[in-house]
Amino acid sequence: MELKVNGKAVELNVPGDMPLLWALRDTLGYTGTKYGCGMSLCGACTVFLDDEPIRSCVTPVSSALGKEVRTIEGISEGTKAVAQVADAVKTAWTKLSVPQCGYCQSGQIMSATALLVKHKNPTKEDINTFMSGNICRCGTYQRIEQAIVEASRSLT
Amino acid sequence: MSNETEFKNEFNRRDFLRTTGLTTAGLILSFYIPMGGRKEAFAQTATPGVAPKPNAFIEIKPDNSIVITINHLEMGQGINTSMSQLIAEELECDWKNIRAVSAPVDAIYNGRMGMQMTGGSSSLITGYDQYRQLGATMREMLVSAAAKRWGLATSECRAENGFVVSSKGRLSYGELASEAGQLPVPTQVTLKNPKDFKVIGQPMTRVDAMEKSTGKAIYGLDVRLPKMQFVVIQRPPLPNIKLLSFDESAARKISGVSDVIRFGDSVAVLAKDTWTARRGRDSLNPKYDLQGHDKMTNETLREDFKKSLTSDPGVVVDKRGDVTAAFAKAKNTIEATYEFPYLAHATMEPMNCTIDFDGDKAELWSGHQMPTMDQGAVAQVLGIAKEKVQIHTVYAGGSFGRRGSKTCDYVVEAAQLAKIVKKPLQIVWTREDDMRGGFYRPMNVHQAHLAFDEKNHFVGWKHQIAGQSVVANSPLEKFIVKDGIESVVVEGVAQTAYSIPNFLVDCRRPNPNMTTLWWRSVGHSHTAFVTETVIDEIAHQTKKDALHLRQEMLKASPRHLAVLALLAKKSPWGKPAPKGHAYGLAIHESFKSVVGHVVEVSLNQKEIKVHHVWSAVDCGQVVNPDGARAQIEGAVVYGLSAALYGEMVIKNGQVTTSNFNDYPVLRMAEMPKVDVFFVDTHSPPTGLGEPGLPATAPAVANALFKLTGKRLRRLPLSRGLA
Repeated sequence: MELKVNGKAVELNVPGDMPLLWALRDTLGYTGTKYGCGMSLCGACTVFLDDEPIRSCVTPVSSALGKEVRTIEGISEGTKAVAQVADAVKTAWTKLSVPQCGYCQSGQIMSATALLVKHKNPTKEDINTFMSGNICRCGTYQRIEQAIVEASRSLT
Repeated sequence: MSNETEFKNEFNRRDFLRTTGLTTAGLILSFYIPMGGRKEAFAQTATPGVAPKPNAFIEIKPDNSIVITINHLEMGQGINTSMSQLIAEELECDWKNIRAVSAPVDAIYNGRMGMQMTGGSSSLITGYDQYRQLGATMREMLVSAAAKRWGLATSECRAENGFVVSSKGRLSYGELASEAGQLPVPTQVTLKNPKDFKVIGQPMTRVDAMEKSTGKAIYGLDVRLPKMQFVVIQRPPLPNIKLLSFDESAARKISGVSDVIRFGDSVAVLAKDTWTARRGRDSLNPKYDLQGHDKMTNETLREDFKKSLTSDPGVVVDKRGDVTAAFAKAKNTIEATYEFPYLAHATMEPMNCTIDFDGDKAELWSGHQMPTMDQGAVAQVLGIAKEKVQIHTVYAGGSFGRRGSKTCDYVVEAAQLAKIVKKPLQIVWTREDDMRGGFYRPMNVHQAHLAFDEKNHFVGWKHQIAGQSVVANSPLEKFIVKDGIESVVVEGVAQTAYSIPNFLVDCRRPNPNMTTLWWRSVGHSHTAFVTETVIDEIAHQTKKDALHLRQEMLKASPRHLAVLALLAKKSPWGKPAPKGHAYGLAIHESFKSVVGHVVEVSLNQKEIKVHHVWSAVDCGQVVNPDGARAQIEGAVVYGLSAALYGEMVIKNGQVTTSNFNDYPVLRMAEMPKVDVFFVDTHSPPTGLGEPGLPATAPAVANALFKLTGKRLRRLPLSRGLA
C-alpha cells in the first residue's frame, strides 16, 4: 500500500490494522513521533491526518491511505496555514525552553499547532481543554501554556 | 570563593594530559584527566597524529565550535545546559558555539561512589569546581598560545567571547587550538569571583531546546540499527515467580514474528516491528506458579507493615532528650498513622535498551543513568571484558530514579537475550510492562506520637517507620546502609533540622515480594509529608501560626529561616485566602537544599484543586535560573500527581495498575500557577532535581485541613476524602 508522509509517497508492506504510529516509527523511520501509552491516553503520538490532529497509536494505517500524514519532522513543510503556525510554535517552545526530557514535546507541539490553527487567539480555557490530552511527566505545562500564548501573539 | 584553586579531589588531579590530534574534523584540543594507574593508556593516546580517544571534556574545533562532554545523563533536568554554563563562564567563549554531548564510559568521568552516575541531585554539586576548572585551564592555555604568537606577556592578552584579544589584534580560539595544545597544562588556575559571573546565574536557553522541539532528539527508543529486531518480553508479574508454561506456537503463527525465546522465567518475542512483537507477546498465554504470593494485596501489605511497628523493635535512627519521660509527664498526646503506597515512576519514555552483540564485543544504547554499573553488568552476563562493552548514552525520556536501576535490570535482560540471539535487538517495554515492571517507590507506614505538657507546650515526639528497603540486594547497599540504618528510608525525619526537645525515631524494614527503587526525592517523598503535617498539627494544637512555629523550631538553621522569610515576603501567607480556598505551608531540606511551598487549594466535593504554588528555594548558587525554576515547576507537578492520585494497585500477588487510565497523573487543566523564588547566595550549588518535591504534598494536606478540619494521613489524598 502507498502512504503519503510529509509530502512524500512511501511504499508500505504492513498489515492494514497496524497502528500508524508503528508504521511511522519502525517501518519508515519517522522517530520524532513517540510511543507513550498505546491507548490514546497521553498524546505523545499525535500526528496530522489531512491537517487534523489524531492519535497515531490507535489509528490503523489503513485509515491513513489516500490522506496526507504529517509528523513533527514535516510539520513546517505542509500547507501554509499549518506551517506558519508550526514555526511560531517551535520558535516559542525553544525560546521559553519548554522541553525538559522532551519526550512528549513532539506530541505537545502537534497539539498546540492544531489548537492555534483553529483558534488564533485561544483563551486559557481553550488551551486547557485542547492540551489536556497530552501528558507531560516533567511538568512543563506552565511553559506550554506560556509558549502557546507567545506563539499566538507572534502570529497576530 | 574564587582565587587560586588547586585541583584537589580525585578526578581533579594536577596531572592533566592533553593531546592534539589531526583528524578528519581538523585539529582538536582535548583535555584528559587521568585517574591513578591509568597513565600508560593515556600516553598512547598522546601520540602525535593519532586521533584523541573520545574521552575529552572539551574540544575546540578549527571552526571555533566547542564540544563539551557531560559526564551525567540528560534526562530532562537540564544538566547539559548548566554544566556547559560552568565551562563557558571560565572559558570566555561564545555560547552559540557550544554543543553538549554525553560521555562514554570511562573512569575519568567518575563521580560519586567511584563511578559514573546521575542521581541524588548531585551533578552540580560534584561538577561545580571541576567543570569551571576545566574551562579556566583551557582559557589560560589559549591566552598563552596567543601571547606566544604575538610575543607579548599573557598579562597583555585577555580572553573575550571566543577570542584572545590584545593590542596586536585578536585571534579566535579555533585558530589557537593547535598551538595551545603544544603548551604545558597549568596546574593552578584562578576561578572567577562570583560577582564577576556573566554566564553562571543567567537564564540560558536550554542547549537541547531546539532538537527537542523539532523531533530530532534521539532517545533510546529512537535508535535504529541495520537488521535490528524489535523485542517485547513477557516477564513474571513479580520477583520469585516461576513460569510454568506458555503458548509458543500462538506467537509463531503471527506473520512477522521472527523468533520466540524463553530465557529464565521470561519469554521474548522478536519481530520486524514493535507492534508485531507485542501482538506475539500478548498471545503467549503464560501460566505462572503464584503459590505463596497470590494472597498479597495493598490491604495485606498495609496490615503487615502496621503490625511490624509493634512486632519488630527496629533500629533507633535519631534520639534526642528522653522521650519516655516526656510522655510520662504528658497532659495531652496525639497518635497518628500515615500510609504511603507503592508508586511507579511512569516516565514518558518506557524502559528500553538497544544492544548489538556479535559474540565478541557489545554496544548498547539507552538513557544510561549508571553507565559504569551497566557496563560491568553486561560484561558479566556476556562473559567478556568490560572494555568490550561500549555504552552509548542517549537522551532519556524522563527517569525520576527508574533508569538508575540498582540491578541494571533492563540492561541485564537485554544482554541475556543478546547472548542467545547475537543480532541487533531493541527491547521495548510497553506502557503496561513499565507500570508492572516491579520497581517502585516502596510502601511505607509511619506512626507519630506527640506529647504536650500541662501548659500545652509541645514536649515530645516518638516516631516509628515501617518502610521497605530501597537498596537491599543490590551492589549499592554497601554505600547506603550503615549499621543497619538505611538512610534513604529514614532521611528527612531522622536528623530533621527542627529543634525537638525529646525525640525518638526508629525504623524497621518489612520485606514483601515487591521490588523497590529510588523515586524522585526517595525517602523524603514520604518523610517530609509526615514531618510537615506533624508540625502543622503541633501549630494547630498549640494555637500558633504555622510559619511562626517553624521559625521558632528552626532558629538554629539560617538557611531554613531565609527560605521562610522569602516565602513570607513573596506568598500571600497570613492574608485571607479567596472564598472557599485555603493556604497550606510546608518546608523541607533534602539533597542539601531547602525548599518551602505555600499552596492555594480548594475542594469541590471530592475534587482537590491546587490553584497556585509559591516556592522559595535555597539551592546555593543558581547556575541557570530558568532551568532551576523548571526543576521546581516539574517537581511540584510530579509531587502533586503522587499526592492526588498515585497508587499502585496490587491484587492476588500482582500489580494490576497498567496505564495512564488507572495511574492518573496531573494534566494541563490541573496545572497550578507556580512562582519560584531563590535565596540570593553564592554558596556552591546544592541539589535541585529532587528538593522541590517533598514539601508539595504536605503543603496541600495542610491546606485541606483548613478546609475540612480533617487530617488526611493516607496517600493519595483523594483516598482519604473518599
